[in-house]
Amino acid sequence: MKHKPQSCREIEADLIATATGDAEPVVRGRVEDHIGFCAACRGDFQRYREIDGVVGVLRREPAMEGAVRARERLESRLADLRSRLMMYRVFPSPLGNILIARSEHGVSLVEYLGERTGFKFSRLAQVAGVEAQEDGLEVEALYRELLEYLHGKRTRLEWPLDLRLARSDFQRAVMKATVAIPYGAVASYAGIATDVGNRSAVRAVAQALRWNPLPIVVPCHRIIGSSGLLTGYAGDKLSLKTRLLGLEGVPTLSAHRDPRVARDTMYVRDRNEVEYCLPTCGGLPSRTLADLTLFASRERAESAGLAPCTACRPDLHPLSA
Amino acid sequence: MMGAQPFETIVAAHHAEIFRYLRRVTSRTSEAEDLSQETFLRAYRAYRTLTPEANVRAWLFAIATNLSRNHFRGEKRRRLAYASAAVEQRETDLEGPESVALFGEARTLLETTIRGLPLKQRAAFTLRKMHDLDYETIGQSLDCSAESARAHVFQALRKIRRSLDGHEFAHMEPSR
Repeated sequence: MKHKPQSCREIEADLIATATGDAEPVVRGRVEDHIGFCAACRGDFQRYREIDGVVGVLRREPAMEGAVRARERLESRLADLRSRLMMYRVFPSPLGNILIARSEHGVSLVEYLGERTGFKFSRLAQVAGVEAQEDGLEVEALYRELLEYLHGKRTRLEWPLDLRLARSDFQRAVMKATVAIPYGAVASYAGIATDVGNRSAVRAVAQALRWNPLPIVVPCHRIIGSSGLLTGYAGDKLSLKTRLLGLEGVPTLSAHRDPRVARDTMYVRDRNEVEYCLPTCGGLPSRTLADLTLFASRERAESAGLAPCTACRPDLHPLSA
Repeated sequence: MMGAQPFETIVAAHHAEIFRYLRRVTSRTSEAEDLSQETFLRAYRAYRTLTPEANVRAWLFAIATNLSRNHFRGEKRRRLAYASAAVEQRETDLEGPESVALFGEARTLLETTIRGLPLKQRAAFTLRKMHDLDYETIGQSLDCSAESARAHVFQALRKIRRSLDGHEFAHMEPSR
């Protein structure tokens, strides 16, 4: 091979390509011309054809052993990854920076980050068994809807939810009960405690909502004290609660240090009633909010499926706006 | 919101082939299993960002090739793999006497030669000759031009030819 003539060396690559079925027609023609008069290259050509034959046998081999087992193991690793993987992004909003995270099951975290932007400040960084991945596409649409909501252009966030970041089944139950409180309404911690079947668990409900991993979507801002005081929100963010309620038309009085809802300007539904009343109806003024839901307007009450009370007739004597 | 097709269909369509590719490149079933798993786990993390027109198969081959390159980085590791592959090969020879009798020596020699090739040549040869990828795609997988990819395959074939010098296998018919 060392003593090959120049012309043979030059055509070697083309010869190999042609013999192994990897050459353009024009190249094939050149090679065929060459091996027509060069016996040494004709031998080479035949040799590469034979090699190509053996290669062909290798490529046609049936499925390799181990492939089935490898596939099974992959499926189980994938299932594990799917359950752990959460896509998140941090967005600016009128309420400061907000991190939104979702798994393949649904939205799992909405978190107020305030001035901070880094993932390391997020609860997500501390959760064991979660693989967080920054990914705009997944959560971009959620963010747009959230912005619409915060600008009053949308009253519902109909997101699939993944409640796995809740700390307990009790907290999950509290979150589910809270989701049922409609836009423009407020209920009490005591009322949610009754909803989840434990009337005395008022403080536990408040704690569960303090750590609500899905604020806004699970509207814990609509849950207040039985006295009408807003009490607290996400730790130290009471002003956000006032703001979110204001967005929904819920009137609050913040003349005092402790803001409260203006319950005498809101319509009222008693537990298990299908009607809504004026705040002055019957014995309502003297009752706590433990079993009452307040609505910012008749429209909000009626879109919750309630009819005007036939005794106090809120439809005939609406509250002045 | 999700990728163009559900990920299950990507696994169903391509896992067997990617596994075969990695088995050919690494010569070891256990490494093919690990690397194919890693290939699809990486793909899962990223596939949502794929455009609908993306060539998923070429993309998976590129991930698999990259993982193999990382895996074999370092000559020592490569030699270790080569040595253990030789052991595994002897075991399979004993298991399949008929196929060995049919294609025998030439085939074994070919496999041994492929296993001894530098990774880029081995990968390029396997992608081209076993999996029919075009040179453009192979170049992308190997971070080189299509021309370099073609040259890798050419070099691989030259070495194979040299290693088979003096061995008769004229009964083998070309596949194409």
